[in-house]
Amino acid sequence: MTAPVPSPQPDRAPTDWKGAAMQKRIAARYSAERRFRTLGLTAIVMSAGFLAYLLISMLHDGLAGFTRTEIAMRIDFPTAPIVLDPASLRSANADAALASVNWQSLTDQAAQENLGKDSIWLAPSAWVAVRDAVKHDPSVLQKVATLNLPASAELDLAAKSDGSDEAEAAYARLDKTGLVHRAVNWSFLTASDGTDPTQVGIWGAFKGSLLTMTVTLLLSFPIGVLAALYLEEYAPRNRWTDMIEVSINNLAAVPSIIFGLLGLAVFLNTLHLPRSAALVGGLTLALMTMPVIVIAGRNAIKAVPPSIRDAALGIGASPVQVVFHHVLPLALPGIMTGTIIGMARALGETAPLLMIGMRAFIASPPGGITDPATVLPVQIFLWSDEVSKGFVEKTSAAIIVLLAFLLGMNSIAIYLRNKFERRW
Amino acid sequence: MKHNIVFAFSALALAASLSACQDQAGGGAAGGARDQIRAVGSSTVYPFATAVAEQFVQANAGMKSPIIESTGTGAGMKLFCAGVGAQHPDIENASRRMKKSEFEQCVANGVKEIVEIQVGVDGLAFAEAKNGPGFQLTPELIYKALAANPFGKSANTAQTWADVDPSLPKVAISVFGPPSTSGTRDSLAELILEKGCQTDPAMKELKEKDEKAYKAACTRIREDGKYVDSGENDNLIVQKLAANPNSLGIFGYSYLEENRASLKDVPLNGVEATYDNVASGKYPGARPLYIYVKKAHVPVIPGLQQYVAEFAKSWEPGGPLAKRGMVAASDAARAKSAEAAKTLPVMDGSYLK
Repeated sequence: MTAPVPSPQPDRAPTDWKGAAMQKRIAARYSAERRFRTLGLTAIVMSAGFLAYLLISMLHDGLAGFTRTEIAMRIDFPTAPIVLDPASLRSANADAALASVNWQSLTDQAAQENLGKDSIWLAPSAWVAVRDAVKHDPSVLQKVATLNLPASAELDLAAKSDGSDEAEAAYARLDKTGLVHRAVNWSFLTASDGTDPTQVGIWGAFKGSLLTMTVTLLLSFPIGVLAALYLEEYAPRNRWTDMIEVSINNLAAVPSIIFGLLGLAVFLNTLHLPRSAALVGGLTLALMTMPVIVIAGRNAIKAVPPSIRDAALGIGASPVQVVFHHVLPLALPGIMTGTIIGMARALGETAPLLMIGMRAFIASPPGGITDPATVLPVQIFLWSDEVSKGFVEKTSAAIIVLLAFLLGMNSIAIYLRNKFERRW
Repeated sequence: MKHNIVFAFSALALAASLSACQDQAGGGAAGGARDQIRAVGSSTVYPFATAVAEQFVQANAGMKSPIIESTGTGAGMKLFCAGVGAQHPDIENASRRMKKSEFEQCVANGVKEIVEIQVGVDGLAFAEAKNGPGFQLTPELIYKALAANPFGKSANTAQTWADVDPSLPKVAISVFGPPSTSGTRDSLAELILEKGCQTDPAMKELKEKDEKAYKAACTRIREDGKYVDSGENDNLIVQKLAANPNSLGIFGYSYLEENRASLKDVPLNGVEATYDNVASGKYPGARPLYIYVKKAHVPVIPGLQQYVAEFAKSWEPGGPLAKRGMVAASDAARAKSAEAAKTLPVMDGSYLK
């Protein structure tokens, strides 16, 4: 004998999908859905818009910085008052021979002959270009050469239609004679900091950034990965590891200027490392980058399925073999992502580097990690503060170089990441 | 056990890399000699110092380019006075004279032989946008508009320039100027605010009686948003003025010269901020610029003497530095400085304040 199955409550009316109240609720549901989608789309469009605005305004202002205005100048070397044996220029002490010539007066004289009173529109340091041309090809000394010399910053601005009235007039006048033309400013990519906007270049800061980033990567990557591996695979769960974990998480959120002060106190004042050097910059930024790598590395190691470890241990691998043959290769793409984020942040960092003296006028590219150097963001910061108006476009051009550097660095990392990525 | 080994290994790696760095550094700069000049200090002198550095390299083949760091005068003095040796800078660029306290700090750290050379004059320029209201100011009016407690009395309540003086336009007071860490700010206090303050004889008496109260009354600037600190970046002030035509900007004279297209100067006491007026000292906002050289470094650092000589070659009126916006000093001051650049006399510091 079984108890009768209780029937479902008979007085519950079936859902009336056509009823006015229900239709209203359905409509409200759909519109909530639509609202959320629109909001999400707006957020994407807005952030894409900001990015596009940044890129377009940078390219608009900065691309002109990669070109310069040149004036074609006829220089009659054989009759010029210089005593210079072309043979001595091919010998070892060519620089000493070159230094013995008064290139400035030579250039000034040629400018007078070619341009008359418009010679003031030649760049003040145009003679450096003359000297370099002779150094590059000593045979020009035997002939009448036509050299393309950089025009002054004012004329350059006028050519890009943003100059003073006199400069605009002079450009129109020179343009009619066909002497002036725009050319790609290769020296912007090969020269270093200077005071004349027509002569400055980004190479010194670029190399400084390269050296600093190398030091940062070499220090923070191995230390960060080893720390992550130890904490994840070996460390016993106790109060000490908890404390280390909390400290590392906190360290990742410390404002960068604090690391600058730390670098100043430890590396400069205690260890007496050289001021303004890429080495100290790299050490300071490594401190800043390491926690980011540790956190990302731990997450990546955690995401490796335990079955991989168990299988490896099961067929007799030692714990170190498990870590280095299986866990680390599988976690590497994730670690790489963390490293990209950390390095990108370090590349754009200015504040800590100001504290350790990398905010300096350095007119020659650094030869090594102990030479005084500056980095791209600091160079941008320095140029934005320059008096001369010609530096405005150079600042934007330097930003483009920084972005290109960043993109290059990230694409290498993304390529490596995809190469090592494995799915299971 | 194994855990500890891994940990010890990473610690060891860090220590090894650090000591390796130090070895390299020993050969490079910190321990031994240095083969390039290092200068620190004022952001106002920075563009002139870099220009001279460039000429120095071009004129002396084989010399390394001097490293010039823009730290601000005060911070630069601290670095300069930290001691003698390759790790300390050779030259301090200053947009004001060394203070007595700084000189004492120097001497205490063994920097006893300091050479003071005036390289030129910088005008503290007051400017407004081209379409501005056309201010006509005096140090007294500026002081009354900007002081926290004018003449040591109650807090400043002036909201518009007309509140300060009925002859001025009725626009809200809004001034963009240098922050308190800047040498330009020291000059503003010394050249303009104190002069304006001393128009009240009671303040002069106060100066003799209570220096501290005098400083507070005369040089403290109001903090209710009428005076906006604009950082060491003078270009920023120029941009802000273009965007706010009713505002007044305070910055180095060279920035005014470079931006005459968008700015106009504000006459002080009816004197316009022109080159001649600043050079002759007629314009109230003129201040001398100095470099301080460590004499003990001259025989050790190659090119230091030539670098100073290059400065002397460039500071003539119409010379390379004048083209960059520096104002040449008077003939007498230049002659004295040229002599100092040659003989490098040690200053005794007794006349410092």
